[in-house]
Amino acid sequence: MRIVLFAMLALIGTTTALAQTPRPGSWQDAVRRLRDAHVVHPIRSARVAARPTAIIAEREPNDSIRTADSAALGDRAIGVVNPARDVDTWFIDLTEGQLFSVDVDAEVLGSPLDAHLVLFAPDGRTVLAFNDDFDGLDSRISFRVPASGRYFVQLSSFGQNGGSPQATYALNFGTVTCSGLGTEREPNDSPENPTRIAIGDSGTGEICPVIERPTGDVDYWAITAQAGTTLDLSVDAASFGFAGDPILALYAPDGTTRLAFNDDFIGSNSRLQFSITTTSTYYAAVANVQGFGDPFRYTLHVGTITPGPGDPITVRAENLGVPLGMAVGGTGDVFVSDVSGDRVLRISADNRVTTFATGITAPLSVAFDASGQLLVSSLAGGVYRVTPQGQATRFITDGIFPFWIAVAPDGRIWITDLGNRSLRRYSATGQFETSFDGIGIGGSGPGPLAIGPSGEPYVSNGTEIWRLRNGRFERLLTDGALIWAFAFDVAGNIYAPSPVTGTLKLFDSTGAVLADPFAVGPDAPQAVAFGRDGTGATLARVFAIDPLAGRLFEVNPAAVRQRGLPGYVTPPFSLDIAAAGLLRAAGLSAADLQYLDALGNHNGRYDVGDLRAYLRVLQGSNR
Amino acid sequence: MTRTRWMVAMVAALFMSVACSDEPTNAGSGPGTLVLRLTSPHADDGAMTFQVHGPSIESASVNGSLQLFTLRVNDSTLVGAVIGTLANGAIITLHVPDESVAAAYTATLREVADREDALRASLAGYALTVTR
Repeated sequence: MRIVLFAMLALIGTTTALAQTPRPGSWQDAVRRLRDAHVVHPIRSARVAARPTAIIAEREPNDSIRTADSAALGDRAIGVVNPARDVDTWFIDLTEGQLFSVDVDAEVLGSPLDAHLVLFAPDGRTVLAFNDDFDGLDSRISFRVPASGRYFVQLSSFGQNGGSPQATYALNFGTVTCSGLGTEREPNDSPENPTRIAIGDSGTGEICPVIERPTGDVDYWAITAQAGTTLDLSVDAASFGFAGDPILALYAPDGTTRLAFNDDFIGSNSRLQFSITTTSTYYAAVANVQGFGDPFRYTLHVGTITPGPGDPITVRAENLGVPLGMAVGGTGDVFVSDVSGDRVLRISADNRVTTFATGITAPLSVAFDASGQLLVSSLAGGVYRVTPQGQATRFITDGIFPFWIAVAPDGRIWITDLGNRSLRRYSATGQFETSFDGIGIGGSGPGPLAIGPSGEPYVSNGTEIWRLRNGRFERLLTDGALIWAFAFDVAGNIYAPSPVTGTLKLFDSTGAVLADPFAVGPDAPQAVAFGRDGTGATLARVFAIDPLAGRLFEVNPAAVRQRGLPGYVTPPFSLDIAAAGLLRAAGLSAADLQYLDALGNHNGRYDVGDLRAYLRVLQGSNR
Repeated sequence: MTRTRWMVAMVAALFMSVACSDEPTNAGSGPGTLVLRLTSPHADDGAMTFQVHGPSIESASVNGSLQLFTLRVNDSTLVGAVIGTLANGAIITLHVPDESVAAAYTATLREVADREDALRASLAGYALTVTR
């Protein structure tokens, strides 16, 4: 856990807003992981030699690179972190290509030390790797030596706030050895040489680097699957006792097209499901998510599950970077924020992808405002407003860390602020009106946000959805998995993406499960939205974006029974036109009718109650 | 009849004729107003749509606390919507060319919504009548 914390802090060192209260498992952490997901490459890990060739003791002072103690491969160095804030430094000469591993034994020997390890390059300044907890509280670093030279290992207590005469440790310097155990058949590092496994079976393997494979160990498994089935693959490494963190991917019969991906379904174990549309051989790949992880063993379980009604899904657009937020515009185009590319993309009805706006640092959530302009929250803080021509200007700047945005039927803007965990409301013109403390809803809330059928905001706290009613938060539903950016249909049903399980779920308006899964196969769907036609009217089509795969999906439209809740559509007509449209029963577009119905009693048609609501909106009165 | 008696009779007739034409509108034919009166089983009506059929409806109006929207379908049919705090009694005033033929006008309620914008599921118990 602390590894995540450290990595996050390192990332956000240049981002003031994020540096507030980063917490592992929080939305910030989730965004960081997503943003970094595209640069994570599994590499070799290492294992120390079983028997030391020498036991050496530290010699103080050794707090710096300049005063480092000497060690060699095979050595077992012993020392003590004492007094508090003591740092022990060791150097070791390594050869290019070696798979170096340095492993701490402290907790395992009964020491109170919570060790932290850092590996420095020969320049003594560049951090190559660090680790806090691998084996319990004991640290381990494995690293492929990029060039021959003298490297430095620094050991301290976590946070450098520990240390005592009892804080002893042993430091094992070695190289990788692999157990060779399991049913996998190495080499199986590509789809050309997989280990075969049948549905219903389990296989065991070890993610373990060897010198001959500089790109790291990946185990490929070949699975023959029938059309109409939904594969259910899971990897269990935790049962073997070490902090191995496997990732799991499924590749198409061509061996290169990634169909599904998962990391950390439960704990560090991974699991994915994917609906098969063509009978063929598919490839499951298991690797190590961390660049400095050690070898670990795992079990791969291969099974099938019953597909959801929304299966199979269809890929509508690819190469979207790391899309996190999604909104559908008044002409039916889909807009997604690419958090890694600092851009907003537009996907047209014919699935053509173009860049809509640039220059917004790590865009998160997107939503259309009352003037038809796109609001975009930024990881760097602030909310931008983008004209239809793609010109972005800062719009709302008083939030600490605005995360998710939604626009209510009355045009008001709602924002979740991760900085102080509040839900903030602004006028349609961006004037702050009020805020609601969201700490009480627990979890990581308030997070992703959507406006419900009655115009009230609903937020996710991670595993629950809450609604704000009469100024108070009420819990609507609880789920076992993470819930990201959900969407309502006109009946109040909720389509919720669960990136951890790689599924979409469907709940009714009371929070009861209607379909779980509703659809499987997106790698890690993060946001859901309903499609619109060329007039802006919502359709019974559900789209989802997947940051890890960089794709836009559509679920099987035959399973989507209701069209989407209209949300805010800029009213382009006067009250007289609205009244004439009611009395004449003509003259308003489908989107206008949806908008008016959403303002009023949302009973599925435009009636005099809706006209009454529209009159009130134009007069600026709440009731 | 003597000439004098004939003239007296003509003057009297003329007087009577003038007197009749100056009487209030409820006393004879000619331009005037009719009233649409609402009968409702609820006490929280907030909006309604209606239709009026009758000869040459010139216009409609409501008191200042209500908002009225109308649309003339043809020379003899007017549809409208009224929004506001509706209560039993006079709601709409129709301006017609001949108020004496009130019976020729019929009014129909089409929709009613409450003050929370919810549409009434049923119009049972409602009535919209035309009176002078």
